[in-house]
Amino acid sequence: MLASTTARQRGAGRMTAVILFLPPALLLFTLFVVMPVVEAAWYGGYNWNGFGSPKNWVGFDNYRMVFETRAFGLALRNNLLVIVVSLAIQLPLALALALILAEKFRGAVALRMLFFLPYVLAEVATGLIFSFVYDGDYGLLASIYRFFGAEAPHLLASTQTSMLAILIVVVWKYFGFHMMLFIAALQGQDRNLIEASRIDGASRWQTIRFVSIPLLYPTIRLSIFFAVVGSLQLFDLVMPLTRGGPADSSQTMVSFLYSHGVTRMRVGYGSAIGVILFVICATFAITYKRWFMRDE
Amino acid sequence: MNALIRSLLAAASLALSAGGAMAQTTVKWLHLEVNPNQLKIWEEVARSFEAAHPGTKIEMQFLENESYKAKLPTLLQSNDRPHIIYSWAGGVLKAQIEAGVLQDVAGSIKDIAPEISPAALAAFTQDGKVYGLPFAQSQVGFLYNKDLMAKANVDGTKIKTWDDLLAAVKALKAAGVTPLTVGGGDKWPLHFYWTHLAVRIGGKAAFQAALRGESGGFEGETFQKAGDLMKQLVDLQPFQNGFLGFKNPQSTGYFGDGKAAMTLVISTVYHQQKALAADKVGIPDDKLGWFDFPTIPGGKGEAADTLGGINGWLVTRGAPKEAVEFVKFFVSKDVQSRLAAGNFLVPVVKGADAAINNAFMRNIAQNLARSNYHQNFYDQDLGPSVGRVVNDATAELAGGSMTPRQVSKAVQDAWKQGN
Amino acid sequence: MNEASAPARRPPDLAVLYRTLFLAFVAAFVAVPLLATVLGGFKSLGELRTNPFGLPSVWEWQNYAGILASRRYWQLLGNSFAISTLTTILALVVASMAAFVFAHIRFFGSRMLLNYFTMGLLFPAATAILPLFIKVRDLGLLDTYFGVVLPQVAFALAMSILLFRRFFKDLPVELVEAALVDGCSYPKFFRFVTLPLSRPILATVGTITFVHSWNAYLVPLIMLNSDAMYPWPLGIMVYQGEYTADWHLILAFITLTILPTFILFVFAQKHIVAGLTAGAVKG
Repeated sequence: MLASTTARQRGAGRMTAVILFLPPALLLFTLFVVMPVVEAAWYGGYNWNGFGSPKNWVGFDNYRMVFETRAFGLALRNNLLVIVVSLAIQLPLALALALILAEKFRGAVALRMLFFLPYVLAEVATGLIFSFVYDGDYGLLASIYRFFGAEAPHLLASTQTSMLAILIVVVWKYFGFHMMLFIAALQGQDRNLIEASRIDGASRWQTIRFVSIPLLYPTIRLSIFFAVVGSLQLFDLVMPLTRGGPADSSQTMVSFLYSHGVTRMRVGYGSAIGVILFVICATFAITYKRWFMRDE
Repeated sequence: MNALIRSLLAAASLALSAGGAMAQTTVKWLHLEVNPNQLKIWEEVARSFEAAHPGTKIEMQFLENESYKAKLPTLLQSNDRPHIIYSWAGGVLKAQIEAGVLQDVAGSIKDIAPEISPAALAAFTQDGKVYGLPFAQSQVGFLYNKDLMAKANVDGTKIKTWDDLLAAVKALKAAGVTPLTVGGGDKWPLHFYWTHLAVRIGGKAAFQAALRGESGGFEGETFQKAGDLMKQLVDLQPFQNGFLGFKNPQSTGYFGDGKAAMTLVISTVYHQQKALAADKVGIPDDKLGWFDFPTIPGGKGEAADTLGGINGWLVTRGAPKEAVEFVKFFVSKDVQSRLAAGNFLVPVVKGADAAINNAFMRNIAQNLARSNYHQNFYDQDLGPSVGRVVNDATAELAGGSMTPRQVSKAVQDAWKQGN
Repeated sequence: MNEASAPARRPPDLAVLYRTLFLAFVAAFVAVPLLATVLGGFKSLGELRTNPFGLPSVWEWQNYAGILASRRYWQLLGNSFAISTLTTILALVVASMAAFVFAHIRFFGSRMLLNYFTMGLLFPAATAILPLFIKVRDLGLLDTYFGVVLPQVAFALAMSILLFRRFFKDLPVELVEAALVDGCSYPKFFRFVTLPLSRPILATVGTITFVHSWNAYLVPLIMLNSDAMYPWPLGIMVYQGEYTADWHLILAFITLTILPTFILFVFAQKHIVAGLTAGAVKG
């Protein structure tokens, strides 16, 4: 309505503004976001080391090879694991903490800040801190084991435990963010509804279960969305901890793309991985938005 | 459109970095050396070069070995690449030559070429063009800690065959000593086992045949057997706890701290174990032993065949002529003798090995001189992408997630794919 | 007073006890690794092994002093600061201008263009990192600040434009109309009316962009070559590669490199929390 009234009045200045204001964003976005994705689809059909221009057309060979690489399967599995842990552990933990800390008591704000702090720290620093925690010789975990007279496991060095170790760090780093989302939503809730249910004789737990949590559904859906998207881009945290090893056991999609595509300059192969990742991300985002977040 | 943006951006970034404008030539030299004792000499070399060439500045850049290998492919694509880079020759070098990022220095090194060991220089030569200069050679073999070996009554000098090694591992384990330490997280230290076994089993002929795709290529008998024998060792669980998470420097430090009896390494670790030990002292010379990789009964390789590196400096395209001069200076007899006298390396310049003054390095130098077949590290020789697969696969073999057969197949598949 | 603190005054309540224990456990889970890192930087390597949790018996100030006195540390922070500041400023300018158009001007294809930008929310930068590398290389921007800044700005655009647009749309309609009727041109209106009113959203978007850029690892890792250009997340990895098992030094280095983030967080926690969560919710 606003646009239409002004439109009539100021036809000429309108276009000047469009021509002046839009191109920088359009140019940057096209050049560095859209074109690389389109080019990935193109390069994905070539066997190319990045020098000169791509000439060696191999069709879908790169995709076939990606699917045949053992690391790819592991990366997919690990990304799924991150999602599962986010939903099964991180989210309930964040929700529980949010319900406690949304209320006002001494120390609540300080605890909120403490729990949010890991989210602000860089992934790389977090990864290094935990590679110290897990270090078999000097680490915190090792000294706990030594205290009980046991030999410390090298969590990051075993194909059995490397991913577990990373999952713990993922929870450590991200639960505070989800908690904050919930707290923000809880504080925006209509106090009257809650008061009303208390007056009606509902117990504290009943109020939470039947009033607060249903009101949080939109936020929970949002939180799940971030957990999944975050899982699909997990990389910075993995590098200092395991670099995807040992034997690719803690590879994620992006670390797989980095170690098998970028560091070997296999542009075609790496682009094919990128295209697969893109398809997964886009499919998820679009379906999820359509099915679960229609009203938002 | 690209050109316009490019020039605009270039102008912008130029404006930002204008403070760094220099009147003199800067040579950017990228190295991987972590040993502070050796680095000290390198720095002195750089300073004395600067003193002799006024207006030239040698800027030393460092990358840790593993990050360097990961970074190199993207690094070389930049116009701003370092002028001098580290190289292990082989297929990786070949790929770099094909990519056109290196400079032919044949014309400017004629004067010193006759002084350099022909085999070493040949590693940096292709089609009559020379892309860099070698400065050191090394051999892969077992370093051992005499005290720890004595605990299990094992005599390192008596380990001659693969079975001897397996027996030693068993004895050490029984005595409660960690037999071997390895930087399994970096993967390539594990590929030494598989490749050196192949050198012993099939000799030069088998490797050449595999390159040509004959007799099954890397899926042939030699490489299958190498995998089988490596698995024999792995099944004894000879490595330190958590070996798949150890980076190479960590493993070296672990050996230097006297926590494992043996380690299969490049001869230069003789020094590095001192620098990387927690006490910075490491295992002293009299407690330190070396034996060559054991032989395989019935193997076609000769006992004198060696696996090891030829290390050199490459000059990248667009580097100033001072870069070439500096590399020449670095491999001059004077500098080589200095490094040899510190027992840091086996030099490649004729006569410089006379400066080696300890038994350990002299032994390595003799081994290398005697060797008729010096196999370069596979992960370098087979090129950037296949080499990585060798490392991945052998690490998986050591971790128990791949069978010897699968290792051979993975390497052969990568080789066939040719990239 | 509210219901949470009220029961605390009554005789010990099991629920309160459990709650306190739960909070204490989570707090320890979060805080112990951080505290051990900071304290570890004050220990010698030997003590770190025997006493990783406790206070140092001898405070080794030289671990920290050595790093603070090194050129390397300040260079890393300087690079990070330059990259993040450039990214933030550019993203704010470019995104707010575009959002202004989307908020106030309806023109042919505007809806489509907005959807075009929204696509940026669908996938992470990593998906097309190799073509992105090739592009930056072809532009001659490898190993420059702008080789990192421009892709970061581009990837920040989608979210930023949406946030700005919503805010601009919520500005009082009368204000916009009055200004335009008074003959104020759109660019002038943007400069003298919209922007001054947009402090809160500028702060939000600026915070998100700055923090992300400050912590970024992948794009700088791939675009930058020389350590003279490295931002701190790259530098800290090199440092760790160089000192491998000297954990006391590595921990001191980690502490000092996360210190700026920490200080910023303590002083601007409201903005940061609001920014990062609001960005998530409204995007």
